[in-house]
Amino acid sequence: MGTPGMGTPGSPSTRSPGTHAPGTPGTRLPGTRSPDTIVLACALACAAVAMLAICVGSTGWRSPWAWSAMIAELRAPRVVLGGLVGAGLAVAGVAMQAVLHNELADPYVLGVSGGASVGAVGSLALWPGMPPGPAAAIGAAGAALLVRGLARGPYDPTRVLLAGVALGSVLASATGAILVLAPASQLLRSATSWLFGGLGTPRWSALIAPALAVTGATAWLSAQATRIDRITLGADVAAALGVNVAGLRRRLLVVAVVLTAIAVAAAGMVGFVGLIAPHAARRLVGAPHRHLIALAALLGALLVMAADAVARTAFAPRELPVGLVTASIGGPVFLWQLQRGPR
Amino acid sequence: MIPVVEAVVEAAGVAVGRGGRPVLAGVHLAVARGEQLALVGGNGSGKTTLLRVLAGLDRPLTGRVQWAGGPLPHGVDRVRRVGVAFQAELASRFTIRDLVTLGLALDRPPAAAERRLVDDALALAALGALADRPCTALSGGEAQRAVLARALVARPGLVLLDEPTNHLDPAGRAMVQALLDRLRGTVAVVIATHELGLAASCDRVALLADGRIAALGAPAAVLTPDQLAAALGVRVRRLDDPDGGPPAFRIIGASRARDEHSTPDEHSTPGEHSAPDDLRAPAEHSEVAA
Repeated sequence: MGTPGMGTPGSPSTRSPGTHAPGTPGTRLPGTRSPDTIVLACALACAAVAMLAICVGSTGWRSPWAWSAMIAELRAPRVVLGGLVGAGLAVAGVAMQAVLHNELADPYVLGVSGGASVGAVGSLALWPGMPPGPAAAIGAAGAALLVRGLARGPYDPTRVLLAGVALGSVLASATGAILVLAPASQLLRSATSWLFGGLGTPRWSALIAPALAVTGATAWLSAQATRIDRITLGADVAAALGVNVAGLRRRLLVVAVVLTAIAVAAAGMVGFVGLIAPHAARRLVGAPHRHLIALAALLGALLVMAADAVARTAFAPRELPVGLVTASIGGPVFLWQLQRGPR
Repeated sequence: MIPVVEAVVEAAGVAVGRGGRPVLAGVHLAVARGEQLALVGGNGSGKTTLLRVLAGLDRPLTGRVQWAGGPLPHGVDRVRRVGVAFQAELASRFTIRDLVTLGLALDRPPAAAERRLVDDALALAALGALADRPCTALSGGEAQRAVLARALVARPGLVLLDEPTNHLDPAGRAMVQALLDRLRGTVAVVIATHELGLAASCDRVALLADGRIAALGAPAAVLTPDQLAAALGVRVRRLDDPDGGPPAFRIIGASRARDEHSTPDEHSTPGEHSAPDDLRAPAEHSEVAA
């Protein structure tokens, strides 16, 4: 809490100028925008990226105004699904970071990635013709439940995280064992493309459930924004500030795991989005969740749609797994932000 | 004795256990409207636990706690009844203004009247000029004042402060003391503290030892060398202020009295238990010395 010795209390005159004039509450740093403006700008950027992502593809540039069957049936639903997966993972990341009091937590942290991988690879090995999504979602949710059960007792975020890491490594080795021991030679290729994420060619009808889940969860979380703010101050402070801590924590965990399971079922493992989108949003609008949740959702959608456009076109006609692209774009951006220092 | 109708909080026969070990036992305490009460005791004497019980955060095993004659309400009404400032709060990335606004426990953005409450609390804690700084960029004293402003913003009738002057420099301590002086008579304050000078400036002092209230009353009656030796295990010289202000206390050294009362968990290994007084004296000294 603060750095003792930085300055004596009561000597605001020693502060660097430029933050604001005393006695003018709410004034902002010169050059900073209001959170509403930032969210609006991000929404516009998101729409622009969606439009661009619909235009580009392995067969070249198509004008969106000539609404061809290819755009309507192949590119558009895929771009929308990318946006939904990105938004869902970003919102799940915000919720997970609040619950675990850790800004390095991502949606996959509670053994979710391991559970999803075992489910998907197991499904591919046993029923090669079936899509692995449902089994992955069940694996993800099951692993999260198991982690919460293993870290029973008085809630301690560190214990929950450690249980997640431990179970995750067990499940990762189980995934590896299935890949090595299963006889089908097809398995490795389909499993690899799933493990690094891929949006495939979804039908419009397959987007209904993710769309409802993502919009519902984002709206609910935004309505809880100040309660989530209080929970990030610690359980005791939150309780003293009128929050039902155990209940809110449980609901946040459920929302995060359900969103992650839906994203995993739809697109496999798309890494880094759930970590970088909340982080970037926090840099833009600060810690309060009132604008953070919506902004993280927009940034997550933007990142996955852009990454998928790159994945489809960079080595066309071959496709890269979208998770590889999110990580290779997200990683450097993240490092660049770190270099710029704290906000 | 304080009449019950006047009490902003009253604990009757409260016992608290943690991990099968009693932490508080048979505590009776009533805090009157506008009264300032200090909780003084060694580490592990139950000060913080008592504060948590009075904040409604820990439920007692036996006994009853009532706030203004009833249970503590939920949600927004709770912070209008009781404000709490903890000792080591998580550092947050909120600005001071955002942090203090959270003290109102609103589920929506603050309205104009509520923003005025925030401005008043910031002014009370002398933080108006720093309001839009992130809490991560504050000195220890500023951070403590931000937490105090958050505890006070909803104008509660009772404020509970855990070690409000811990780790503060002299100017920071003076600031907290000035804030307490401004609250005197209007807001009931319960302060858990190791600072005997701060305790002596309160209306009453409760001396805690091994989870029980060993003495309760006016500072002059409670903060005596004998009682402090028994409860804290220190030899103290009391220096009265010729101008009539609160007395100062000088810690002369450790007394043997503490060893006789010590609970097993404070000496978890036999080696420590048999440690000679001169080895333990510096630690005791630094805990209590202002």
